[in-house]
Amino acid sequence: MTYLVAPTVLRIAPDAMAARTRERFGGELRRAGSFAQLCLLGAQACLDSAPERTSLGVLWASRHGARAAARTALQEAASGEPVMPFTFVATQPHLAATLLAQRSAPVARAAFVHVEPSDWPRLLGLAQTWLASCEQVLVGWVEEAAEEEAHQSDWCVLQKKPGEISCEPLREARGALPSTSADWLARVAAWTAAPREPLALRGGSEAWRFAASR
Amino acid sequence: MASFVRAAAVASASAPEVVPDLALPPAGGDWTKRAETIARAVAAALKSKAGLPQSEWQQLPCLVGSSSHFIGAREAQPDATLGPPAEFAVQLARWFDASGAAMAVNTACTSGLTALGLARDMVESGACPHVLVLGVELANRLTGAGFAALGLLSATTARPCDPERDGLVLGEAFGAVVVSGSGPWRLASVEIKVDPSGFAAPAPNEAVIAKVMDAALSAAGWKEIDLLKLQAGGSPIGDLAEARAVRSTFAALPRMVSLKGAIGHTLGASGPAELALLLDALARGIVPPTAGFARVDPELGLQPQAADATSIRRVLFNLAGFGGHVASLALEKT
Repeated sequence: MTYLVAPTVLRIAPDAMAARTRERFGGELRRAGSFAQLCLLGAQACLDSAPERTSLGVLWASRHGARAAARTALQEAASGEPVMPFTFVATQPHLAATLLAQRSAPVARAAFVHVEPSDWPRLLGLAQTWLASCEQVLVGWVEEAAEEEAHQSDWCVLQKKPGEISCEPLREARGALPSTSADWLARVAAWTAAPREPLALRGGSEAWRFAASR
Repeated sequence: MASFVRAAAVASASAPEVVPDLALPPAGGDWTKRAETIARAVAAALKSKAGLPQSEWQQLPCLVGSSSHFIGAREAQPDATLGPPAEFAVQLARWFDASGAAMAVNTACTSGLTALGLARDMVESGACPHVLVLGVELANRLTGAGFAALGLLSATTARPCDPERDGLVLGEAFGAVVVSGSGPWRLASVEIKVDPSGFAAPAPNEAVIAKVMDAALSAAGWKEIDLLKLQAGGSPIGDLAEARAVRSTFAALPRMVSLKGAIGHTLGASGPAELALLLDALARGIVPPTAGFARVDPELGLQPQAADATSIRRVLFNLAGFGGHVASLALEKT
């Protein structure tokens, strides 16, 4: 059985990012870029409320990745001016795992993937296989805001050690509630406040079931 | 369940005894059309080698490792919206006639090998019988400008492990691998770790490289290997860090090869691309010469050289990536 713990749902207004980062980390991580900072804010909040661990896999996803940095870097490259080194660095979306490892998280394995919003169950499936070699897997969905939306940084921990929510893939997706990477973890977090019947959520052709285990 | 490299194919530059399935067409023109032409040609080569029934081929899930995805297409149309990289993976899968789930992996230079590791998980867990892994890095201005800004590029040419080495030379490649439950090379282990000191560092920490090689050897149950495929791309401090790690790991140095002098550093494509080139050379009974290497650097003490490959069964395959991801893959001939 697999257990989901510490569901953490962050929505941050773009103009509040700098203050939130300073508040959490004592300063802005300018060299890391906005996407890595957004990842780190959610991931660290999730780890803070999860049980201690000795080995951690970090598997996280985004549809667009570091699109603000990519846009800036493309503009710099198109202008004929040299690209600024840390603008280029910030285009790389995988840096959050290194930043977590710097903050003493025992990162044993890490991968960043781009998936479509309906494919969120695939990440849970991959994370489940990582539990063969990692005590916990930190799983995240991070999306920088477009226009006036809020930034999203949603994270949870999967583990084999029993926790409050058990979870498993369903053989049959029919009957499960349709969901996307933007809302599935928020639904689980809301359901956790008063869990009664198990919650079944579907993304694409796959579905997962969440149940209170205590 | 074990997992295997069933087949591999690649489009890249070439060098003596480093023979891709096809040469890359000249850069320029319509970026997307060129990508499609390359993808369809690599797909045809891979399909004929893999020998999967059409029905199984069409169900292949596709994992794409790349650090730049279709940035090159965006550069050609500055006013276009920057599409999500997941769409690039879906498009590539379509060009391969594979309609399973598609996702894109980005861990910079280890992207393709990270994708291979995920494919191994999918096959060994029984989730999929076969997985298509692509490593794709095609011409774009931004990557070159970014590496130039970081001061990592050679002013001359790539010279892996050579005392005259002065930096990386970037290259293009499109590598493709089918991972299955059977094949000529078993994926004995795939170890990928994060170097905490690697954020924006010009080279990975030698202790982390050694730890990753140790972990790969240990997971494979090996103490010795027959061949080490080095990351070495000609970076002054990168090659030095790897050399120190290799010397601390092996009491007697194994045969070695680097492919980055032949095809350049192909970043996220380098895992599948170098794997395809190496397995092809080994199948022809050859450890290819390391292009750009002329003499031993006493500080490194490494001497990659051409050799007969008929007795090679165990291969360790190193990669290191910008941003601190360090990888080592153990392959065993079946």
